[in-house]
Amino acid sequence: MSAKNRTVRVFRYHPETGGDGAFHEYSLALDDESKTTVLDLLLRIQREHDPSLAFRYACRVSMCGSCAMVVNGQEALACKTVVAALPSGPISIRPLNHFPVIKDLVVDMDPFFDKYFKSAPYFDGPTDQTEPAQIRPDSRERKLIGLSTECIACGCCVSSCTMVAQHPTYLGPASLNRAFSLLLDSRDQLRTERMAAVLESCYACRTEFNCTQVCPKELSPTRAIKHIQRMALGTSVTANPRGNEAIAETKPDVGQATVAADMPTDLHGTDLCRRAMLKRALFAVGGVSALATGSVLGMSVVGPSLDPVEKKRVRLGVTEDFAPGEVRTMMVKYSRMDAFHEAEIEMPVMVTRSDENELVAFNSRCTHLGCEVHWDTMRKLFLCACHGGAFNVDGSVKAGPPPRPLARYPVDVVDGHVYVEVS
Amino acid sequence: MEHREALPTRAPLKQGEFDPGRWRNTKAGMWSWLWQRFSAIAIVVLLALHLSLTYRPLIQFLLLLMVTFHAALGLRVILLDFSLVNVKYQKALIAVLMAAGIAALFLIWNQIY
Repeated sequence: MSAKNRTVRVFRYHPETGGDGAFHEYSLALDDESKTTVLDLLLRIQREHDPSLAFRYACRVSMCGSCAMVVNGQEALACKTVVAALPSGPISIRPLNHFPVIKDLVVDMDPFFDKYFKSAPYFDGPTDQTEPAQIRPDSRERKLIGLSTECIACGCCVSSCTMVAQHPTYLGPASLNRAFSLLLDSRDQLRTERMAAVLESCYACRTEFNCTQVCPKELSPTRAIKHIQRMALGTSVTANPRGNEAIAETKPDVGQATVAADMPTDLHGTDLCRRAMLKRALFAVGGVSALATGSVLGMSVVGPSLDPVEKKRVRLGVTEDFAPGEVRTMMVKYSRMDAFHEAEIEMPVMVTRSDENELVAFNSRCTHLGCEVHWDTMRKLFLCACHGGAFNVDGSVKAGPPPRPLARYPVDVVDGHVYVEVS
Repeated sequence: MEHREALPTRAPLKQGEFDPGRWRNTKAGMWSWLWQRFSAIAIVVLLALHLSLTYRPLIQFLLLLMVTFHAALGLRVILLDFSLVNVKYQKALIAVLMAAGIAALFLIWNQIY
């Protein structure tokens, strides 16, 4: 097979020169891409181009988890990623996210293992039994734990998780996956302590499945985190009787002095804080919703009456219709928008001619209590049947309780047509 | 240990920093999370518009669309949270719930208009 050139862009950072680091391009002639891994590329760059290129690797068979890096924007083990499986074009290789870069592709994994040990990732078995405690391979418990014990702590999941950067105290997918496999283990003696350690973290997951998608061992930390969340539902909020000392006592000597130093001693600190926050949030959301709903309802009830009333110009007839000394009661019909509702209005208007031969339109409501007045042709008076109020033909009060003359509407005459402006 | 601490390290790389494949490699699950956040903000804005400019079909449709997205993606998280659906179907859930949501949207829309 003929050799084919591939461009490889490798992130380079040197601690002595500092700066942000940058991609360096290398061109490699590959004989058979299906038999070349990304780790092979890096080894060839180191041998053929630049011996100072730094990267970690050990087992070469995806068992040790040393060679995790971001290849073409996706976390992967360099030893497991075959070049033929990558899309054509330049191959970009950069260090993992969320970890300080020591040199080139080598990152400081201390933050990873600090968080890993916070979930007490070791088994603490029962001490009161003489026979070995076993979990049968076909038991429900073992099947539920499944492959989650296969984690090689490579850090791919933590690098792919967007929530790790957002929540500094979030233990991350790897640590929670380890906690899950031990929390489900019926022999484990540190259940309460472990639960207290991961309780706050298990809610930081946003169900993005990034960790599941990149895991080189094809585990699902998301499944583990969801399971811890469901276990937390059944966990009562009680003080942990043993606290940090319990984890410190039982911890095997693994050379990690920082274990459990800052683990929560009970569930109160973390959980009550969350509860108080949720309570406040609930009240705040309730208050804002009530205010919003209340103001909308309030505006719809009060609003229309605050709006300036629209004037309507309605035609009554022609000037010849209105003889001097005669009063005509006309029904005026028009429609008006009342908020969302279109109201059909029908009301009587009394039209007459004044002494100066001017057309006058009266509101037919009595100024006393609003009853309708009618024109008495015999007595030449507007009479109100309710309380005996009487008005002269010019609208002034003749007798009875009305306090002021009848209200008038403006009238105008255009080309012999009579219009009245009502509101 | 002492020697390593003396060397300056570069600040951790962020998601997408120096990463030409960032958007191409954004996973379906992360898109659904981002889209749910976006639709949440869109609902707040459109709800305010809906209350101040009443009976505008465009605003009503966009609001209904955003509520559909938000509800479909929210249902997906609830189903996964309570293990009502196995996590291995997480991608299929996005498609199924979105399709069901949009079908419901058009049924409702045809009932109204």
